[in-house]
Amino acid sequence: MIAFVIRRLLLGLVTVWLISVLSFAIIQLPPGDFVSAYIAQQAASGSPVSAEAADAMRQEYGLGRPFYVQYGKWLGRILHGNLGESMEWRRPVSEVIGDRIWLTLLLSFAALVITWGLALPIGIYSAVRQYSWGDYLFTLVGFIGIAVPNFLLALIVMYFAFRLFGASVGGLFSSEMMLAPWGWPKFWDLMKHLPLPAIILALGGTAQLIRIMRANLLDELRRPYVVTARAKGLSETKVILKYPVRAALNPFASNIAYLFPYLVSGSIIISIVLGLPTVGPLLVKALVAQDMFLAGAIVLLLGVMTVIGTFISDLVLMWVEPRLRHQMD
Amino acid sequence: MTSRRRFLGYGAFMAAATPSAEALAQAVSGTSQFAASGLVGTLNGAVQSAAIPTKFAEAPQLAELVKAGKLPPVDQRIPSEPLVLKPLDEIGKYGGTWRRAFIGPSDGENGNRIMATDKLLFWDVTGSKIVPGVARAWDLSKDGKTTTLTLRKGMKWGDGSPFTADDFIFWYEDLYQNKDIVPAPIPDMSAGGKPGRMVKIDDVTVQFQFDSPNYLFPSLLAGDTLIGGGQAVRQSTGNTYAAYAPAKYLKQFLPKYSSEAEVTRRAKEAGFESWVRALHVKKDWQLNPELPTLGPWRTVRPINTPTWTMERNPYFYVVDTSGNQLPYIDSIVMTLAEDIEVVNLRAMAGEYDLQERHIDLQKLPVILENRDRGKYDVHLDLAYNGADTTLHVNLDHRADPVVGKLLKTADFRRALSMGIDRDQMNDTFWLGLGTPGSSAPAEAMPESPGPEWRDKWSKLDIAQANKLLDGLGLTKKDSQGFRLRPDNGQRLIIQLLAVKSFMDWPKHAEMISQHWRKIGIYGDVKEAERGLAFQRAMTGDHHVFVWTNGGTELLYLYPTWALPTDVTSGVYGIEYARWYASNGAQGTKPEDPLLLKVLEMLKSGNGMEQEARDKNAQEIWKIMVDQQFSIGTVGQSPALMGVRLASRRLANIPSRACIAQHCRTPGTSHPETWFFKT
Repeated sequence: MIAFVIRRLLLGLVTVWLISVLSFAIIQLPPGDFVSAYIAQQAASGSPVSAEAADAMRQEYGLGRPFYVQYGKWLGRILHGNLGESMEWRRPVSEVIGDRIWLTLLLSFAALVITWGLALPIGIYSAVRQYSWGDYLFTLVGFIGIAVPNFLLALIVMYFAFRLFGASVGGLFSSEMMLAPWGWPKFWDLMKHLPLPAIILALGGTAQLIRIMRANLLDELRRPYVVTARAKGLSETKVILKYPVRAALNPFASNIAYLFPYLVSGSIIISIVLGLPTVGPLLVKALVAQDMFLAGAIVLLLGVMTVIGTFISDLVLMWVEPRLRHQMD
Repeated sequence: MTSRRRFLGYGAFMAAATPSAEALAQAVSGTSQFAASGLVGTLNGAVQSAAIPTKFAEAPQLAELVKAGKLPPVDQRIPSEPLVLKPLDEIGKYGGTWRRAFIGPSDGENGNRIMATDKLLFWDVTGSKIVPGVARAWDLSKDGKTTTLTLRKGMKWGDGSPFTADDFIFWYEDLYQNKDIVPAPIPDMSAGGKPGRMVKIDDVTVQFQFDSPNYLFPSLLAGDTLIGGGQAVRQSTGNTYAAYAPAKYLKQFLPKYSSEAEVTRRAKEAGFESWVRALHVKKDWQLNPELPTLGPWRTVRPINTPTWTMERNPYFYVVDTSGNQLPYIDSIVMTLAEDIEVVNLRAMAGEYDLQERHIDLQKLPVILENRDRGKYDVHLDLAYNGADTTLHVNLDHRADPVVGKLLKTADFRRALSMGIDRDQMNDTFWLGLGTPGSSAPAEAMPESPGPEWRDKWSKLDIAQANKLLDGLGLTKKDSQGFRLRPDNGQRLIIQLLAVKSFMDWPKHAEMISQHWRKIGIYGDVKEAERGLAFQRAMTGDHHVFVWTNGGTELLYLYPTWALPTDVTSGVYGIEYARWYASNGAQGTKPEDPLLLKVLEMLKSGNGMEQEARDKNAQEIWKIMVDQQFSIGTVGQSPALMGVRLASRRLANIPSRACIAQHCRTPGTSHPETWFFKT
């Protein structure tokens, strides 16, 4: 089993390297570069950039060099812990991401807690009380949750918040608190703004997880061992929670792989709609402006998080699923 | 829609306007119907006053600093001849924070424009008259070869160091002429094809000398040009223009004053790749809070953070008529909005105190509906350029010779123009608030060729358009009624390259393409991301580029969106632009004799005095409209920065502001004179 873990770890490293090549290549794919995007943007605001000035900028950023040279320099810097300077933000990439990563993590984590906190109990309830009044209700809500894209939900919530309370939803701080130094008032302000976007973010995933949990558990509940457990006189709660639920949790464990990149990026579309200062919109803007060091760093970060997530989900699966462990030995 | 247009009474504006220099002010004073709507007011705002107050006052927090001995008294901070502004309605009171939106580090213009009082010369509230700015006075010699600027005695940078002619010479010799920093000389600094010089006469006098007459130069200094733009805009985002720079502060970053090794070492220590990169950041007011500036406010939290924040400049050189040092408002907080929609929603919720940038005209009904809830007033400011949506025709298209030949043909362009239903476009995209017509500027502008040229070839006339196209031999049509190419019998396709930017131009192009069905022209809308579109225009393989023609109302200052003059923009043919910019040394000479003629006329404008120059521009416009080098649709509207939401707590807010490139919207409205009543 140790050998298996080590092999997975090494494979993970190779994957990360491949991701770095791929992410750098993808960022270079669109025609033009940061300088041409910059020229367009300057032209739009009425200040022309001369051809000479453009060349000087390309030189400064090393944009004229062949792909492998640019990649080599980039990778070399990253290995030294330097993600480079964001061309658009004109700040080190680590700072630009750093500004947003904590809020992103907080928001994603809050959404995750809500998702799991709602989905698991409801999923179990729906399976155990299949075709009950409650099951139908949750099924209905669940299908609506799956069918309505959550950016639309975000828009609807924003509309009502604006109509009914005259407040604009969006952002994680009120304008007075935006500048305030960190402290209890600011934290409280954040706590007031956090639930709404977190719930919107959570709803789509919740509906999906309820359905998965319900289906898995229904499969398990029909197994003979459940009948045996009941026959042995175990209490109903124990019967359900001890075995079938645990078995039904497997998909959740394998889901961890996708959760990790999500934690650091947040939902891109919802963040844009709600004006949340998370990493997602940053990536979109970086790609549009062809800010390749920033975009590269975020794409790499997402890739690395996926690899780490997969690795952890493997470990968790082995822990919750004894059958896997036995296969390995 | 018609009723709304009547409600705003745009006709009255047109009728009252005559093309002369002072006409603008007159035109708007006769617009009673505009005033009745309550949305479009009269051009007004703070005006300059010649009388210098004898006593000066300052903001309470500055007075405290003076008391604590941390700041010199106010009369030592302002120049002995400060710029005196008479606020629009009343003398204001100090205090408050102006909340505003910006959309990211690329939105630097948002702040630059508020700092526009750092320009050497500027325009009055009507945008038609040049007035002093940082320079107290200017003098253009009789022969037009010399422009002399007189600075203000005792004027100081934001850090308290003196602002003198040496700051100009420092810019000219150490920055502008250093190829590492400014790779190429700028056209603004040359006349008759030869570079001019900057000379220091004494501490408060600077001279710009040219070998040929350059009567245009004061306008260049007042305009939003590379030389005249001011420090905020022209020394940010990697630019190093604007004629002056804080010498004392910036010298530490230049090799000349220590050594290349030394500045490189220091740059590397601070985390920059090279000393040039370090300099570009250090001289950028958006990024470097330490940088001494001349504008009313200065950055305290840079633009690359979620809140771009500014606070008052204690050395600002402008006072009100009672001697109170401006600005009234303590600080500006711009909050980052990820999306334009978010800006609009927050604006309607009253979360911004004054916002005209990124406000969407199409949301006007909702914006008006929420006025009382959001506690703001709405003002519509009308632009002067001919068309917010202009079809800029590539006059040098080579990739497809058949299309290229047609685009070079005046009758073809005229037919395309007459095939557009401008009224429908106006109703759909401008809510009926625009003025349909050609690309020629508003009649109120001194360079306007006159009202008949707003309509020439620019009214819907399907029959005439079809006749012209038939006359060109494009008589064969396919089964769907589209005209065929003369060479291979395939459908003739005209591409419309459009970008979703200030307006949703791809949608506008779609509508035009629908209109063109009636004249048998297949318009193919190519939507592209902004950078990509500009790049394609640079290679010259586009047919028609859809964009505004903003700025062309002052043709000599901003000809980019009217004629092939700008080597950084290839919309009218990049080779033609190279030919023009290099005085024939590079690029390709246009064949069209009329295009050649207008380019020649444009170039000769520098050497003409004001009156002759305006006349010359009118003649240029007549030819450009007759030839339809660019096809105008709808303009003179509030679509671009003209929908202004102002908090009801604010006072001294103009009822109408000049929105134009040269007015640096909201620059000529002098935000430093606005204040919070409560």
